[in-house]
Amino acid sequence: MRVRIIVLGTLGAAALWLLLLGLDRALVYRLAANAATVDAEAEEPAGAAIRRRTLVPIPSEALVFRTTPAGVANDAHAPRSDKAHPRTLATFRGLRAYPGAPPRVPHGLTAEEFRTTTCNTCHERGGWSSRFAAYVPLTPHPEWASCLQCHAIDAPLMGSALPGVGADAVCAQCHAPASGRVALPAIDWLPMDWPRVRSRAHDGMPPEIPHHLQLRGNCLACHMGPGAVAELRTTHPERANCRQCHLAADEFSFSTAVSVAEGWLP
Amino acid sequence: MSVDRRTFLKGAAVASVAAVAPAGIVAGSAARSTPAWHRTACTFCGVGCSLLVAVQDGRAVAAKGDTDSPVNRGLGCVKGYHAIQTLYGRDRITRPLVRRNGVLVETDLDTAWDAIAARLRETVARHGADAAGLYGSGQWSVVDAYIAAKLFKAGIGTNNIDTSVRLRHAAAATALASTYGLDGAPGCHEDIEHADVFVLWSHNMAETDPVLFSRLLERRRTHAGVRIIDVGTRTTRTSYAADRSLQYAPLAEIPLANAICHELVRRRAHNASFVARHVAFARATASAGDDDISGETSHPVDWAEYVRFLEQWSPDRVAALTGVAAEDIRWLASLYGDRTRRVLTTWDSELNRHHRGAWANNVLHNIHLLTGKVSSPGNGAFCCTGQPNGADSLHAAGASPDGLPGGSAHAAVDRGRAARVWGVAEERISTRRGRTATGLFRGIIDGSIRFLWVQAANPLVNLAGADRYQAALRSQDIFLVVTDAYPTATTAMADVVLPAALWLEREGVYGSSERRSQYVPRLVQAPGSARPDGWHTIEVARRAGYGELFPWNEAMYVTEAWREMERFESGLPGMAQLRAGSGILSPANGAEGTSWRFNPAHDAAADRRRGDFDFYGNADHRARIWLRPHEPPPESPDARFPLWLSTGAVLEHAGTGTLTRRIPVLQRAAPHAWVELNESDARDLGVRNGERVRVSTRRGAIDVQARIDHRTQPPVGQIFVPAFDEAVPIQRLMPDVVCPLSGQPASGKCAARVERIV
Repeated sequence: MRVRIIVLGTLGAAALWLLLLGLDRALVYRLAANAATVDAEAEEPAGAAIRRRTLVPIPSEALVFRTTPAGVANDAHAPRSDKAHPRTLATFRGLRAYPGAPPRVPHGLTAEEFRTTTCNTCHERGGWSSRFAAYVPLTPHPEWASCLQCHAIDAPLMGSALPGVGADAVCAQCHAPASGRVALPAIDWLPMDWPRVRSRAHDGMPPEIPHHLQLRGNCLACHMGPGAVAELRTTHPERANCRQCHLAADEFSFSTAVSVAEGWLP
Repeated sequence: MSVDRRTFLKGAAVASVAAVAPAGIVAGSAARSTPAWHRTACTFCGVGCSLLVAVQDGRAVAAKGDTDSPVNRGLGCVKGYHAIQTLYGRDRITRPLVRRNGVLVETDLDTAWDAIAARLRETVARHGADAAGLYGSGQWSVVDAYIAAKLFKAGIGTNNIDTSVRLRHAAAATALASTYGLDGAPGCHEDIEHADVFVLWSHNMAETDPVLFSRLLERRRTHAGVRIIDVGTRTTRTSYAADRSLQYAPLAEIPLANAICHELVRRRAHNASFVARHVAFARATASAGDDDISGETSHPVDWAEYVRFLEQWSPDRVAALTGVAAEDIRWLASLYGDRTRRVLTTWDSELNRHHRGAWANNVLHNIHLLTGKVSSPGNGAFCCTGQPNGADSLHAAGASPDGLPGGSAHAAVDRGRAARVWGVAEERISTRRGRTATGLFRGIIDGSIRFLWVQAANPLVNLAGADRYQAALRSQDIFLVVTDAYPTATTAMADVVLPAALWLEREGVYGSSERRSQYVPRLVQAPGSARPDGWHTIEVARRAGYGELFPWNEAMYVTEAWREMERFESGLPGMAQLRAGSGILSPANGAEGTSWRFNPAHDAAADRRRGDFDFYGNADHRARIWLRPHEPPPESPDARFPLWLSTGAVLEHAGTGTLTRRIPVLQRAAPHAWVELNESDARDLGVRNGERVRVSTRRGAIDVQARIDHRTQPPVGQIFVPAFDEAVPIQRLMPDVVCPLSGQPASGKCAARVERIV
């Protein structure tokens, strides 16, 4: 049994290395949006974007190492102090239309913040926010700076600075919407099931990655420290090479299996 | 090679997972199947993002950006990510509705189609073919557009077909045609990855073309020296992200661009060699017109006359006219004239909706022709269409008042070709110019239009003066058919409403602002009796006696229609090519599309013997620099209406919000329209943030919430109202004036007043 696991483990690692070796640097940059791998002087030949269409997107593992315990303002092991704004799986899901959807912005922005999109000031390195009495969640992709392109605002909260609140603050003190409630449209919406952590081989196996890695290849941004969703925090953030042990589940493996459907359903 | 690697790795991954997990499959929720991911294109705007959509048990359940796409490279925007939710609104129209005793009641498809066909036949018999009209959409599939054009031009025998593209992009298309002889953009989105300087003219790209804006920011982040310059009439999210933001007076684009050209020539920073080889100059005499498009007569002029024309547009004089400091105009000219930098100018419908929209487009092309910075990687003047269909894809479909597929209704050779492909007599195809968007609706008032079919558009919300059209529809015997997926102000006035299948529920091909055609597969069933616009058109055509034009069945008509369109040889890619990837830039020569037109290194149609460029769209193979004067706006602020009102788009909504207002996250982000005021104006008016105020123009008033220094900051003396909210149909208050060359309504800016509601 032990021999079998070692052999399979070796095979898996070999497959991963092949993956890495096969990537050309420009592709890693384009697809994983990681500035660290870009040679700024290298000029892309004209027309390359179109030819790239045939290449396979494989999220770079480099993103795994982007956020490290030393690089953020949060103490990776700090206990949460989240009475004012607890961050749980339920709140996490409530901000997303479906698994993998960009979460909407759950807090107010000052007019200045709204216009200038300075989200990364807080969300790139995290830390304790006295304004929200909470640890700040990290973004896994601070290099994409036009945050509101994907993350929808919450109109009733806009323009409110949400003044500094103590740890005992209750939501209603700050969240009284200035412009009334928004009547949301009624839709019959049934999203994809939320992913569940699983270990297929045996109980002790590191769980597989149960979600896509697109724009989320930076594991520790979401899984480390007191800003992370309580249920999703890793116990071992210092073991930085996450994908050494956590493989992608088959339906979320490195490239999405896309079928180009025929025009007419059978 | 890459495909081999992919295949190998997929095999390896599956094999290893299978081996590691012999029996340990964790049970999912038993009732649901495994989601399958499919590639499709987002059809909200003109960027043309490729999306992957997960379908589970016949429903769309998740989406993400396609990393394979050269357009969005894995990104999406807040509309695209949530577009799948537009399918599931509870107020979806799923059954046809017919008006009985003044009330819309449900019926079946056959009854509805029969009723429309009977009325169409009767209208044509009693009032002639030109009494029928169709108003389609930039949100159409190109195939929908083709089928509608074929019914009207080959069947009914009228050119009365136009689209909502008239409201956004007509000025740009007209100017491209007058400058280059062809109405598609010369360059493409990939210019972004090569440009050193971006000049955004009245283009809040961060909100209107967000994925392209992220590409701009990425270009700047990864390349030292790249600069983004915002030149607009108000401070937007784009202004804040830009390296520099300059403000000019509303509708002053033409003098500003002419002043830049003045300065380029004065300091001899123009590209004299390019101009000598590739440019001709023209002046025009135009007749004004407001009901239709007026022609213009082109008079050739020489370089000396152009230089004389530019003399009057000195930066010092233009500074007073535009509010831009003379040194800033000179600085802009220095950027454009710097031979070491590639410059990309962009704009969108906010600039096009100008009383001289085509001229405003011409002068932006002038800057680039003067400097030779055109249609080569990183150099160009590019108008974003805002809708999947720009003029070029509608041109390929023939869905315009002057067009035939790939040609003109006024050209005998094009009529002959259309008659051959369509199998009709050439005399069947009318030579009379059809009605433009405004012309179709004005025809309702004077009774010259008796039958009007609106598809995938909401004109009674976004046409100036729509209250007059509403009144005419109420009082006169006009038959209005509307195909849509949700109730709108326009469906409310219809005699018959046909339920439309939406994106993902129907097969189609969509264009984009860079001439990219993309295949969109059918992935889920449409609800109830909903059908694609094109199929509704075919069913009505058959019942009205034009069945021989559409010998296709419902399963294959998209492929068959596309095959027929290819016979017009307008450079469309083949269906197999389209299905294989994330689209191709027309004209599709071989496996790859044409990224930079007129550039022999990239365009197979351009003749290398003519040198580095061949502007083959014009008979003399030269692009045109037009001498365009400034014409004061038809309406400017005065004592009664002291403010400039601008209207435009916001990130969260598309068009009049028919679809986006059904998406909860977007509705939460922008639930209703607002008026943005400058803090100083608000103080003078005694208006507080969040207060409801009345915005009036010469045509009416609307009550709306005031926002002070909110999402964007208008300068003192200006206000902004977004146009997505049916409850705040601000476009109806704009002047009913069109650009005489393009027929595009000048609905961007006018004089207005803001009052507190007491």
